[in-house]
Amino acid sequence: MSTKAKAKELAPDRVVAFASEREMPPLAVSLGTSLANKTGSWRYLRPVYEEKEPPCNHACPAGNDIRGFIALILKGKLAEARELLCETNPFPAITGRVCHHPCELECNRQKLDEPLSIRALERLAGDEGYNGKGLRPPRRRHKERIAIVGSGPAGLSCAYFLARKGYQVAIFEAERKPGGMLRWGIPEYRLPKAVLERELALLRDLGIEFKAGLRVGQDLRLEELQAGYDTIFLAVGATAGVELELPGGEAAGVLHGLEFLKRVNFGERVELGERVAVIGGGNTAMDAARVALRLGAKPVVVYRRTRAEMPAIPEEVEAALEEGVEFTFLAAPIEVLTANGQLKGARFIKMELGPPDETGRRRPMPIKGSEFKLELDNLILAVGERPDLSFLPEGVKLREGRVNDPVLVEALRAPIFAGGDAATGAGTVVEAIASGRRGAEAIDRHLRGLPEPEPEREPVLVPFERINLDYFEPRPRAQGRALAVPERVTNFEEIELGLSLEQGQLEAERCFSCGGCNQCDNCITYCPDVAISRHDDQYEVDYDYCKGCGICAQECPRWVISLVEEEK
Amino acid sequence: MATEVELKAGIPSGKKVITGNYAVSYGAALARAQVIAAYPITPQTQIVELLADFCAEGALRANFIKVESEHSAMAACIGAAAVGARAFTATSAQGLALMHEMLHWAAGARLPIVMANVNRAMGPPWSIWTDQNDSLSQRDTGWMQFYCESNQEALDTVIQAYKVAEKVLLPAMLVLDAFFLSHTSEPVEIPEQGLVDRYLPPYNPEFKLDITDPRAFGGITMPSEYFELRYKMQKAMEEALEVAKAADLEFKELFGRGYGLVEPYRLEDAELALVTSGTVTSTARLVIDELRAKGERVGLLKVRLFRPFPTALVREHLLKVPKIAVIDRNISFGHGGIFAQEIKSALYNAEPRRPLFGFVAGLGGRDITPELIEEIIAYALAHDRPEEEIIWMGVKR
Repeated sequence: MSTKAKAKELAPDRVVAFASEREMPPLAVSLGTSLANKTGSWRYLRPVYEEKEPPCNHACPAGNDIRGFIALILKGKLAEARELLCETNPFPAITGRVCHHPCELECNRQKLDEPLSIRALERLAGDEGYNGKGLRPPRRRHKERIAIVGSGPAGLSCAYFLARKGYQVAIFEAERKPGGMLRWGIPEYRLPKAVLERELALLRDLGIEFKAGLRVGQDLRLEELQAGYDTIFLAVGATAGVELELPGGEAAGVLHGLEFLKRVNFGERVELGERVAVIGGGNTAMDAARVALRLGAKPVVVYRRTRAEMPAIPEEVEAALEEGVEFTFLAAPIEVLTANGQLKGARFIKMELGPPDETGRRRPMPIKGSEFKLELDNLILAVGERPDLSFLPEGVKLREGRVNDPVLVEALRAPIFAGGDAATGAGTVVEAIASGRRGAEAIDRHLRGLPEPEPEREPVLVPFERINLDYFEPRPRAQGRALAVPERVTNFEEIELGLSLEQGQLEAERCFSCGGCNQCDNCITYCPDVAISRHDDQYEVDYDYCKGCGICAQECPRWVISLVEEEK
Repeated sequence: MATEVELKAGIPSGKKVITGNYAVSYGAALARAQVIAAYPITPQTQIVELLADFCAEGALRANFIKVESEHSAMAACIGAAAVGARAFTATSAQGLALMHEMLHWAAGARLPIVMANVNRAMGPPWSIWTDQNDSLSQRDTGWMQFYCESNQEALDTVIQAYKVAEKVLLPAMLVLDAFFLSHTSEPVEIPEQGLVDRYLPPYNPEFKLDITDPRAFGGITMPSEYFELRYKMQKAMEEALEVAKAADLEFKELFGRGYGLVEPYRLEDAELALVTSGTVTSTARLVIDELRAKGERVGLLKVRLFRPFPTALVREHLLKVPKIAVIDRNISFGHGGIFAQEIKSALYNAEPRRPLFGFVAGLGGRDITPELIEEIIAYALAHDRPEEEIIWMGVKR
């Protein structure tokens, strides 16, 4: 009998004693499988699948699952991507166009080449993931009715999340059409009205009632709302321009940035001269300058700090420069020059940057004797916005959340909540959306008598150093199609034309998926003990055999697997 | 069903002028190596380059595995051999040294891998030229070692090495001198594939990795068994002497060429036996002929098989001769030439005692010229016994 035949005869769990070397096989071979050798007993480190927070998700004020929706785009699932975004943000098609994308600023990929084009991907999901069908209205679960004052992004967001929770919601809007800043603060070339209308229609599908043309405090007293609704959410925005104390500022030809944008957005033919100065460095200033350009003016932006300190989205500044808007940095107006009540020009003074102020930016300081004059046809002031709270009792100030102001509480004798720019000061669209959602959650807790949630634990963020770069090749980020400068400066056509699905999927491929498993199977491939298996999208480690060598954690491209010390 | 790649005509037979490296490639291809894993290192690289070409052309149906080091090359060969594939690799010097751990593994797991090592001097200092210290440093790993003298012998030895290795379940290394053989072209008879197939049937081991019969190989073995497994390895080495002899005879019958485990040359009635290995043998043969023509009674013993060491054959041929002179192109630091040591130890328990001269020459590729060999012979003839244990030839002092 051969040694092998002999070996096979023996049961695997038998202890074999050989009487002589002649009985032995020529090499050390087990009688049974190697499963008897439970190498897991050697382990002092244990690999665990532990998803971690990607910097993009963490940076998103709305709390969007950015890594998640990009993974869905990669699989071509645009509708699912939109659906995922809509869990935290009612308007991916809008933020996909106008968001200041703090996610991209934190994207780990920029340390390899360039950040992901997250905003463009969001737009792709928002536009192409829309299947034309409305949202199914949620089952009405609650009898409470909520009135929302203001239909800007905060009010709309609050309404959306409340409606999804099953409340009856009505939105009161002072202007003829809802949308607030989305409608009249943002120019058509950045956010076409058709996109806004589509997104608003989806909210109507949810059963949200829109009451436009009713200005609370004027057409309708706040107290009247109280009668028909259980709770009120104030989201009236920051619609009043910050005034500059400028001698001659009342002259004809002096405009306020937001007011100017609003008139243009509402289709009014605003006559501008050729020589237009726009004062300010924020997004309103950029919009005003670019709109002025499209109306035939030759605008110059005058900003008291430098380009580095501008609060505007850098792409907007870049686009303004491309289109031929001129910039004068380190200067501020000190006097409007008039003749017969008509603007003729302005006097400016040059600035230098001093020590940082409370915003952390260096404070501009006038340089004595550096005054200069500009002859102007129009002066557009865009130095900031503040809430107009004239409809509230004197002295009331709003904070985000439940309003505890004794004057207001006494006046209304009803629970009242606030959010958006009116409560937080002028911010961005995505911040307003986030504020609206927090408002909806606070209202829901209040109406349902639920306690305040536990503060969330600080998540573990994935730093760039944890990405295994062996798995990623540098590749430039996707550039969507866009109108060239000559094609766009004479009209209000949308400039950005978005990414194709193919471009979007290529771009989604660039995503590191920091801290998020995308089933690349590297762990299975590399496990020297064949101790990892996959069941659908879940991996399982067989700790009877895992030696804790850590190769899976090392080879995980995106730090999903952590090694934790075994407890003795 | 996947269509098989249509193979070209295979390896054409016939006479061809090729380098020693290419001769090895032809040998491995004709032996139908199924897995080739190698890492490039001068002066070996051409061996696997040509094999890669054969694979790419479809002349050889083998898996060519690119690896990141020689250690991995040997590891890949071990894996391949463990499932019953015929595995081949080639290396030199530092590459062989890097394989050291895996060499033990291949031998201990009784895997009949065949490897070509092109003898290259070890660094530092860097050298790409020949000497035998790289292969001889692996003396005790359980690998058989064949030292080749010609390109034809290199080709034929690859085929013979598989035959022996697969019979006794031990890996085999064939060794050839850098440049003197690896990069020098000679006419080589490339045997017919059909004939090689007859000589070397497919490898089908009794024990192999098999997913339908899963087993662990090389796992921990207690003192109660380890010792016996080592005993069996030595017995396999001893058996290999007979198997190699028979394999060479069978080869000669089929192909008309044989080499023996050692090759005596004009040793009858000699007063002095020169002992050589590798390409020095060819030069020495020429010198012996010249000296014989002048009436000097000198002969030569070429040692082809170094592991297992052919002790009986060495005794048989050398004890007849009054004096022995060994040329070592290597040095075991702290002792001397390694072939000289081995021959001494082979003769120690036999009678009569013969004086043995140990010459060290040609390290790092320095030429061992006919004149130098004449000097060696003259020295040995002129002395009753060596004045020093190591006689350094050609050192500039």
